[in-house]
Amino acid sequence: MSVLASLLTPALFEATVRLATPVSLAALAAVISERSGVTNIAMEGIMLVGAFAAAWGGWHFGNPWIGLCCGVGAGALFSLFFAWSVVSLRINQVVAGAIMNILGFGLTRYLMMVVYGRQGTSEAVPRTLQECRFAIPLLSRIPYVGSALFDQTPVVYLSLLSVIGFAWLFKRTRLGLSIEASGEHPMALETLGRSVVRVRYLAIVLGGALCGLAGAFLSIENSNSFTEGMSGGRGFIALAANIAGGWRPVGAFAAALFFGFVDALQLRIQGLGIVKVASEIFLVFPYLATLAAVAGFVRKSRPPAALGRNFSVEHPED
Amino acid sequence: MRRVRAVLRIVAVLLALAGGGLYLASYFRGGCLLLGALLAWGFERRLALGADFGARVRALARRAAVPAAGIAAALLIGAAIMALTGYSPLASYEALFYGGFVRNWHISVLNAVPLVFTGLAIAFGFHGGLFNIGAEGQYLVGVMAATWLGIGMGLPPLVGMALIFLVGALAGAATNLVPALLKVKTGAHEVVTTMMFAYAIRTLAPIFIRAHGGDPANTAHPYVTDAVAEGVWLPLFKDFLPEANYRLHVGILLAVACAFLVHFVLTRTDLGYRIRAVGANATAARTQGISVAWITTLSLLGSGALAACAGITQVLGLDHRMFQNLDAGYGWNGISIALLARNHPLAIPFTALLWGVLDAGGQYMARTVQTPNAIIEIVKGILLFLLLAEVIYEKFGTILRDRLKGLLDRKREVRS
Amino acid sequence: MSLLKDTPPLLETRGVTKAFGGFVANRDISIRLHAGEIVALLGENGAGKSTLMNILYGLYRPTAGTVLLDGEPVRFASPREAIARGLGMVHQHFMLVPTLTVTQNIILGAEPVRLGHVRTREARERVRGLSERFGLTVDPDARVEDLSVGLQQRVEILKALYRKARVLILDEPTAVLTPCEVEELFAVLRRLAESGTAIIIITHKLEEVLGLSHRVYILGKGEIRGELRTSEADASTLARLMVGREVLLEARRDTEPVPLGEQVLAVEGVAARDARGLPALRGVDLEVRGGEILGIGGVEGNGQRELCETVAGLSRPEAGRILLKGRDVTRWSVRRRLQAGMAYVPQDRRGEGLVLPFSVEENLALGLSGRAPFSKAGFLDPRGFRAHAERLMGIFDIRAGGADVPASTLSGGNQQKIILAREFSRNPAFLLVSQPTRGLDVGAIEYVHHRLLELKARGAAILLISMELEELFALSDRIAVLHGGEVVFERQASATSLPEVGEYVVRGRAAGTGRAS
Repeated sequence: MSVLASLLTPALFEATVRLATPVSLAALAAVISERSGVTNIAMEGIMLVGAFAAAWGGWHFGNPWIGLCCGVGAGALFSLFFAWSVVSLRINQVVAGAIMNILGFGLTRYLMMVVYGRQGTSEAVPRTLQECRFAIPLLSRIPYVGSALFDQTPVVYLSLLSVIGFAWLFKRTRLGLSIEASGEHPMALETLGRSVVRVRYLAIVLGGALCGLAGAFLSIENSNSFTEGMSGGRGFIALAANIAGGWRPVGAFAAALFFGFVDALQLRIQGLGIVKVASEIFLVFPYLATLAAVAGFVRKSRPPAALGRNFSVEHPED
Repeated sequence: MRRVRAVLRIVAVLLALAGGGLYLASYFRGGCLLLGALLAWGFERRLALGADFGARVRALARRAAVPAAGIAAALLIGAAIMALTGYSPLASYEALFYGGFVRNWHISVLNAVPLVFTGLAIAFGFHGGLFNIGAEGQYLVGVMAATWLGIGMGLPPLVGMALIFLVGALAGAATNLVPALLKVKTGAHEVVTTMMFAYAIRTLAPIFIRAHGGDPANTAHPYVTDAVAEGVWLPLFKDFLPEANYRLHVGILLAVACAFLVHFVLTRTDLGYRIRAVGANATAARTQGISVAWITTLSLLGSGALAACAGITQVLGLDHRMFQNLDAGYGWNGISIALLARNHPLAIPFTALLWGVLDAGGQYMARTVQTPNAIIEIVKGILLFLLLAEVIYEKFGTILRDRLKGLLDRKREVRS
Repeated sequence: MSLLKDTPPLLETRGVTKAFGGFVANRDISIRLHAGEIVALLGENGAGKSTLMNILYGLYRPTAGTVLLDGEPVRFASPREAIARGLGMVHQHFMLVPTLTVTQNIILGAEPVRLGHVRTREARERVRGLSERFGLTVDPDARVEDLSVGLQQRVEILKALYRKARVLILDEPTAVLTPCEVEELFAVLRRLAESGTAIIIITHKLEEVLGLSHRVYILGKGEIRGELRTSEADASTLARLMVGREVLLEARRDTEPVPLGEQVLAVEGVAARDARGLPALRGVDLEVRGGEILGIGGVEGNGQRELCETVAGLSRPEAGRILLKGRDVTRWSVRRRLQAGMAYVPQDRRGEGLVLPFSVEENLALGLSGRAPFSKAGFLDPRGFRAHAERLMGIFDIRAGGADVPASTLSGGNQQKIILAREFSRNPAFLLVSQPTRGLDVGAIEYVHHRLLELKARGAAILLISMELEELFALSDRIAVLHGGEVVFERQASATSLPEVGEYVVRGRAAGTGRAS
């Protein structure tokens, strides 16, 4: 029993939320764009670009908040290229996503040399968002989960707000209805007078902003500089979270949280040295969960009907 | 006539072999022989096709036009980026091409070997209508299989190598068994399933590494296992061509042979025919009695086997152990190589070699003129984009054609 | 229900023509519609009805002619404009988002908002009000994918009413309804007309026309063939106008009568469902003997596709058996049936019959590639391919740039020849062929007919499915009609006439009873 007590500390939950934040933001991005009908595997590359921009902004202007804005803006701008490729040029969405990842890695590595004159890690930002941690008065006193959820750093709060925000968006706004229609039956939306092209562009750029935010978290909140390749595969775990979460904001967030929990648990177990199990067994969990979801073992998680198919009014069968 | 053609064909093949081999030792002499081989082959085709020859050459040029234009445009854009950020495009490209094609040609070839196999894997999948994006994972399976069998198994040389290839290829195929079943039974898209498998394998690989002598805690070489028994190392060219580079192994020959094999299977066997039919129009294939489920499964398995061979040659030929290559991006590069070659197996060695040149040349460029070789990554990304954005070509093409027509019409008016 | 003929029409088209490249879908169409009127557009598949409706709704633009609304010419650039001007369309294939609720689907594109928030409650009340007013009861919070087809259609109608449609266009509304739902729909439409809405129904069913409309336009091959007051029309007249006044029976190509052989194909009590799960075949019994052609007529959507699929082996029937040369093949795969002597020329030559990127010779080997002369021990023999292709291209006069050009470069007629050549080269004992001459020119049609008769003369049994009555009469020994998933008519071709068959095609069982509708 004491093993359990030493495992399930508030620190574990805090680590869970912290580890889950970039993944849940990117997973939200995946939810939005895939719900609108666009397969999105580009989160990795967009996150990198956002991370780099945030680190640069924070370093150049000396202010982490400006860095945050730079990260979000860069993510949105970079994803515009992706939107143009798949919505206007109607390129295969999977390959377009791969292109974004290649360009994301390449551009950030190149700009490292150009801006900082070295490879590996950028200059440190003078102030990180870690220093802007603040606690919400009453809620943070809740045992176990209070400090995890309500005594955190800005981007973590933003991620929580985003989940709530987007859940509300999908249920209660025009944009939310349009996005869902665009992913299930785009022709229906078009016959009702709304442009599928516009809706998909918006969805992708919104997602890009979220990925940029995730990147900013990585570089100026969780750390104090940009390191090449720091997205570390989180983009693909986010994809898994999206699928495992059934393409819904709350579901994807829950999945991301669960993956973060498994990750934090694994670290803690390693630290305590209790069990001699390879940590990698835990880390594989997200991928196996996704496979199970895709195979239909988890509850009926159906992708949006028009997912992955490029849409055009003249060629509805494309 | 037929005898002349047969002679020419034999001459071409001999010259090609000799030239290829010699090229690895002396670029000039080898290059001349290769050129002679090309000429001999060209003459043979001319005699065979007669009047058709010109049409065939033009058709080939047209097919290669888009990839070639893409390469040129991507390099131009790369040059623009370099110029904008304060590096000299001319000096960089000079270093790139000199390093890749001349000075470090052997590195280019070494780079290309696994890329040929993964390119073939993805192209093979495309022919069957499948997107095997998880080639990375199958590559790792090949690496692990080769390392596992090779370490301390004490197998006799040739038998050992053959066995390792067989087992490794089967292991690679088996990696795609679950994705194939899922696709056939539930329609699950192979992009997601193979990608998840690839990432799962990548995550689990350190367990294997630790079990075979690696130490992930060692920051200098975290992912290096024990060495594979020397008996199964692939022979080096140096063994019979003393002037060749000391690391160049015969894997390139295996890769090219594999390209021929894949081409043969796709064009000259019933199975290949059915795979292509399913890939081009599964409905029509099904209507004519072809079992789409069975063919889809075989395509995915075959693709996995090919990707695994990339890993096997890398271990047996170059690294002789499982090396720090958990993140080499072979899967993504394989997509570009396959698309650049328009999925034609015989063109893949060339595009893979181009990629190898870019990588080797890029490193040389970074060392000599200090241009960051990440620009190569950017060029690769832009190239892939341009290959796919056919719409751009259509628009460009029609604009160009209309402008030309306008020009010609005006000239005609002036003249008359 | 007074017809105010003196008042100007609410909606009118004058000389509207629409061409897609070389194909003219609508030619010089002029129709009028008044408020409170129900007008029916009657015609077979391919007559151009849907094209006309898409023009009215703003999805297409006419190549020539004008559309007038309230007497003024309009040119809609998109459905949004048409909706804004008061046109509402209920499509044949519903434009509903399955995962959204009824209310959400209805308000999509015109949601009531306040500060970004969609006022669902207000919307729900409006929907409820509308639905009560017009008798279109449906649960506003149900998800559309959980609703029956009849209820889904109500949602489509409510969508139009929510946007205050003055003109309601319904495309084949009763295609998917049960008889009970049809009655309910009629009641709703009558109520709407009384309240001033103008309604156009596109249909090929006579019962809808006679039971509901005030006036009817008959469309055929893109042109208006007639305009009648429904009160002055009867079923036979309508059927005759629909099917075409040209009763051109081609001189049968009969040389000597072919001796009738054994039974080759037998379909016994086959029942099957379509892709949506609705019953498509309800106990069909057929048989075809060697040396005869059984032609099956009927408008698309009456079970032809499912008949083809079950006979060919692409899907399993729910009930019943299929016998090929006396053996029960109901559970056999396509491949086994092909090997047992069946051949199949599918309806969609580009999508199901050919692999367009393949060359002519590769297409000629599709399904046959496993054995000689195409391959030996799994290895292909290019010479075998070429020889086979050249032989067939000669016999069937397939015009192409060579045996190795892609099939996509050939004309429709030549593409069909490839499929015929391939299937005929199997020397089948039984040939299943569906819509063999769709989209072909006169010369190609003649050629295909010639070949089919030739195959029959060699003793094969042929099951021909065709929507062209002239074709049925030119080729068949016996003619049957498939309507609503049942065989409603079967007779020797010599013992019936084109108008009689046409009437069964259009009216189904009702034709035989002589009732008006």
